[in-house]
Amino acid sequence: MRLIHHAMKTRTAAHLAMEILIGYILLVGVLLSTVLLIIGLTWHWAQTGHLRFEYPIVGMNLFEFISLDVRQIASGSFRPKLIVNLGIAVVMFTPYVRVLASMLYFALVERNRKYTLFTGFVLTALTYSLFLR
Amino acid sequence: MSFELLFLTSIIAGFVGSMSGMGGGIVLIPVLTFFGMDIKHAIAISIVSVIATSSGSASAYVRDRITNLKVGMFLEMFTIIGAWVGAALTLVSGKRPLFILFGIVLLASWATLFRQRHESWRPVAHQDRFSQWLELEGTYYDQPMGQTLQYRGGRAYLGGPLMFGAGVIAGLLGIGAGALKVLIHDLVMGLPPKVSTTTSNLIIGVTALSGTSVYLVAGLISPGLAAPVILGVLLGAFIGTRLLVRLTNETVRHFFLVVLFVLGVEMIVRGLMGV
Repeated sequence: MRLIHHAMKTRTAAHLAMEILIGYILLVGVLLSTVLLIIGLTWHWAQTGHLRFEYPIVGMNLFEFISLDVRQIASGSFRPKLIVNLGIAVVMFTPYVRVLASMLYFALVERNRKYTLFTGFVLTALTYSLFLR
Repeated sequence: MSFELLFLTSIIAGFVGSMSGMGGGIVLIPVLTFFGMDIKHAIAISIVSVIATSSGSASAYVRDRITNLKVGMFLEMFTIIGAWVGAALTLVSGKRPLFILFGIVLLASWATLFRQRHESWRPVAHQDRFSQWLELEGTYYDQPMGQTLQYRGGRAYLGGPLMFGAGVIAGLLGIGAGALKVLIHDLVMGLPPKVSTTTSNLIIGVTALSGTSVYLVAGLISPGLAAPVILGVLLGAFIGTRLLVRLTNETVRHFFLVVLFVLGVEMIVRGLMGV
């Protein structure tokens, strides 16, 4: 009886930790993207004197979009456009990271095979759609 | 459309969306198209902002432990595939059917909200074996009632496939389709209203991401236009949730019923008249 009680208790504790983890991943994602977008737009405004800012992304999936942006920034070309792009990429990437973290949590901490499989399916489908062009 | 107008519209959309729990897209798309934006571009921009609002509010709800993660993660499997199909359909669809469908979804949401005025939650008495196998149960602390509520979810075999349909609508029209999701959680699966609203909010994020992936590759997302929309919707939602506490449920509901009805009729008329 005590054993069952103990098992239940750790299980709930594990679940609570998962909620805190997911909550913070989402919060950090939103705050980071907000900051990036504000910096990018303000910078653009400081350079050009207006806020209107229009340019398309042509035929790229999210991973190509991110890698192109990061490569340009890494090569030292800092431009408002790249910061705005990064902000948008963080918005899109946040739920993806949330799903990845939940899968790892179900697999490694809760050891719940069923839900590892479910979140694994969601992750695979999302990865596939984000790689597609 | 000027930056200022775009930003202001997004604040209002986020504000109304968060007050009603239906997300910003439902107001954003009719207004953006009203000011001359192409409906497919409006849908694509709206769906990116839906990801941001979902993450923003879900982060708070998840930590408050009201959201049921297992229910969410089971149902996500269906909505993401649906959203993908929906977004692909939008790319090939004509514009007028999109306006008409959008109007129909608005009016259906209106009817749902209207009908639910006096509904209260009925707990699931007998959980079916599939839902039991899925471990669809939970507890949460209900603040107004001052007690911890225990609940079980049922009929997951029906809820799953129906969520595919909600996903199609979300991807197709660039909205969270929160009303449909809440309806499925409430009426089909028997979850308490607060759990169904917050869980639906969590699901909306990945659903919108799945739809966004299609619009991104199609070149419909312009980061420079999406940026003010995302910031505006987040700001509006932030103000909305703060104000929500001070207003009575009745006031919010009446206000939103009028908004939904007017926008629904407007979209259908524009679809029929040739945009």
